[in-house]
Amino acid sequence: MAKNDIGPPNYRDMLPPIVRENYGRWRQHTIPQPGVLCHTSESGAVLTSVRVASPRLVSTDWVRQICALADQFCDGHIRFTTRHNVEFLVSEPAKVEPLLERLEAAGLMVGGVGNAISNVVHTQGWIHCKSAVTDASGLVKAVMDELHPYFTGKRDVPARLRVAVACCVNMCGACHCSDIAIVGIHRTVPRINHDMVSKSCEIPSTVASCPTGAVRPNPKLKSIDIVAEKCMYCGNCAAVCPAIDIMDPVNDGVSIWVGGKISNARTAPKFSRLAIPFLPNRPPRWPEVVEAVKNLVEVWRGNAKPGERMGEWIDRIGWERFFKLTGIPFTDKHIDDFTHATTTFRSTTQFRF
Amino acid sequence: MEPSNTPLLDELEEGQWPSFVAQLKQAAEKSPAAADLLRQVERSYADNTGHWKRGGIVGVRGYGGGVVGRYSSLPEEFPGVKEFHTMRINEPAGFFYTTEKLRQLCDVWDQYGSGLLNLHGSTGDIILLGTTTENLQPCFDALTEVGFDLGGSGSALRTISCCVGQARCEYACIDTMDITYDLTMHFQSDIHRPSFPYKFKIKCSGCPNDCAAASARSDLAIIGVWRDAIQVDPQAVRQYVADGLNIIDQVVRRCPTWAVEWDAQTQELKINDADCTHCMHCINQMPKALRVGKQQGATLLVGGKAPVVKGAQIGSVLVPFIEMQPPYTEFKELLVKIIDWWAENGKNRERIGELIDRLGMAAFLQAIGRQPCAQMVNAPRANPYLFWKSEEVQQNG
Amino acid sequence: MEIRELGGKQLELDEDGFIQDPAAWDEAVAAALAKTEGVDEMSEKHWKLVNYLRNYYLQFQMAPMIRKLCKETGFKLNEVYELFPSGPAKGACKVAGLPKPTGCV
Ligand code: SF4
Ligand code: SF4
Repeated sequence: MAKNDIGPPNYRDMLPPIVRENYGRWRQHTIPQPGVLCHTSESGAVLTSVRVASPRLVSTDWVRQICALADQFCDGHIRFTTRHNVEFLVSEPAKVEPLLERLEAAGLMVGGVGNAISNVVHTQGWIHCKSAVTDASGLVKAVMDELHPYFTGKRDVPARLRVAVACCVNMCGACHCSDIAIVGIHRTVPRINHDMVSKSCEIPSTVASCPTGAVRPNPKLKSIDIVAEKCMYCGNCAAVCPAIDIMDPVNDGVSIWVGGKISNARTAPKFSRLAIPFLPNRPPRWPEVVEAVKNLVEVWRGNAKPGERMGEWIDRIGWERFFKLTGIPFTDKHIDDFTHATTTFRSTTQFRF
Repeated sequence: MEPSNTPLLDELEEGQWPSFVAQLKQAAEKSPAAADLLRQVERSYADNTGHWKRGGIVGVRGYGGGVVGRYSSLPEEFPGVKEFHTMRINEPAGFFYTTEKLRQLCDVWDQYGSGLLNLHGSTGDIILLGTTTENLQPCFDALTEVGFDLGGSGSALRTISCCVGQARCEYACIDTMDITYDLTMHFQSDIHRPSFPYKFKIKCSGCPNDCAAASARSDLAIIGVWRDAIQVDPQAVRQYVADGLNIIDQVVRRCPTWAVEWDAQTQELKINDADCTHCMHCINQMPKALRVGKQQGATLLVGGKAPVVKGAQIGSVLVPFIEMQPPYTEFKELLVKIIDWWAENGKNRERIGELIDRLGMAAFLQAIGRQPCAQMVNAPRANPYLFWKSEEVQQNG
Repeated sequence: MEIRELGGKQLELDEDGFIQDPAAWDEAVAAALAKTEGVDEMSEKHWKLVNYLRNYYLQFQMAPMIRKLCKETGFKLNEVYELFPSGPAKGACKVAGLPKPTGCV
């Protein structure tokens, strides 16, 4: 018989001894090499953390493989980061080099610390999500196969760069505040199965779900209608009512957003802004998306000052120059027409030609 | 050699970044469900669309959430994923594990599920991907035997997560892991038995670097902060400069408030703490020399969320400074007031940030018994359309 | 979809066991649905909850929010779970013949 509401394992029982002993007493840290953090406590204890990329979707065998390494090098303790990395916490300095060698031999990639591209935060995609326009895992794999030298530190970048992938505009996972966000989008009005609506939908909830008021009741059919001109393809109605279908494999695609951040360092957290409204959804390698992301990273890398994140760089040079430097066309799609749109319009003669 | 039946996914086994396809194949060797998942995803790659039905409501006894029902829309072709439900398992705070605990989890999941999982999902849970309706209860029972419990889903308090905090970070102004664990245990029923207008997320970061992305995606963000002087070790500052740090370009000129001064002659660093907005930049640049202040607590921000329904919001300041000492009574009381007001006034699928937008921050503050303060705004309003209550004006005017 | 005999009727059920035609609902159907949710005997309290949901649905074409349900029926949330161990959404709404409440997002 199950016990209810026992809650998660108590974190205190999960901590390695060095962390328990030095909890709240850490004094400083360095990054001795890419992917490695070295923390010193006021007690003099030194903890080395080695960060390794995971594909987020893993098998139990992979977890056991990681555990075996942690048994050997970290006395049976392991940690994960909020960005799907694994961290090996090593308390004996002599074990760091052998661990790094073993990781390399096992094909595990070390990196993602400090000024680097961190692991990509992403959603389920076709692996498990009902509203996925595209496959998040596949996009991440295709993009990072190109960009991994920026993760491992083989190529340097001016500041940290956080990439996120969301397979639809729900944007699970703080995707909307990333340096580069890759987001699946729809471009066509959802279709309605009127027969099914009357049976399996809550009509008032469906009407209320639409942010633009595009969904209207249709009392004659005991169903709903969608006013096409008002619809901006967000998919909220389809999330509430299973009789509404917004998937359109021909017209659905991928958009790219830039310049967001969550940290308060220097500037306030900010949203990512639209860079590219539409690219075709072309698995398994998404060549157009990979090319576009690579271009963004390289233009930023070539032009930003040391320490300048994507959004800070754009703030300094201005969006007009961002579009010129990246070669991305500025279109009607880039001008906001949703709530608070006017707050994004420029109301000064200060700009660049 | 037999020709592969997943030619598109096979392409994603190439390349250097760790491959999820390799993981799918590894799981497929043991689990027919994982094997059919692999085939169904290949099919998605071929026809550019997902193959999951919408809806799905399954669960375990005594809980109203924690399991996300999922059914294949092609069950005849891929019977192994006909039922392929997700279990969200509440992670230990800070994502620390003993290998023993992880192996116990894996053993249960190999017995009852597909052997595939996410470490971790966006909200923080361990996501166990793919089991049948029949296996849900026995799997849950076995998980509780080894000390795990479900996380939140639906219109509930979602699983709380945090950055590493004081376990390994000298910046942490609050004990993020203890806060997370304490709140998780205190609000178990709100996590497991949805009763809110929509989801409610709480995330906790130790300092304004906000590694848990709290302000961007939590309805209530707890971000550690200090309100006295930054602690300076002058000798260590000089060492950074001697080691080649361009202190003028990298620190002085990039402080957003021009609070940092460097006298090259005397090699003295001065921080004007009254001007400092504790953005973390100078500390990030010289972690050996500068430390967060000693008067530590948290800033609470309310209303952060992703775009659904009415557009994304970043949390806005609700409480500039609150002490965060166990048992966190002041915080808990405030949280209950916030939820009560929202539950009373919110529409179905309306997040707290959207409700505040609709009914006004002033009404919200009054309902939860908090005074407005200047830290809450970038600037006061510019329009003249103020509301006055009847008791604020003379009745016989 | 699957056809099953419930309360003496042949009814179409979705994969979660919700009836597809809300109009086909009656008390015998409810009692049969209750058995699928671990409720062997429908007590007076069970009926109070189910009838409330049913009437709310007939009036508003949607399920009430949980707190409203608790307030208007006088049951505390844990009492609702004692009556319907699979909870108000999966358990009580199913027995009341409502359309499936929508999922996680
Ligand atoms: S897709 Fe969005 S905008 Fe279009 S009708 Fe549905 S809810 Fe409204
Ligand atoms: S924390 Fe930020 S605002 Fe404060 S002195 Fe340092 S750089 Fe300036």
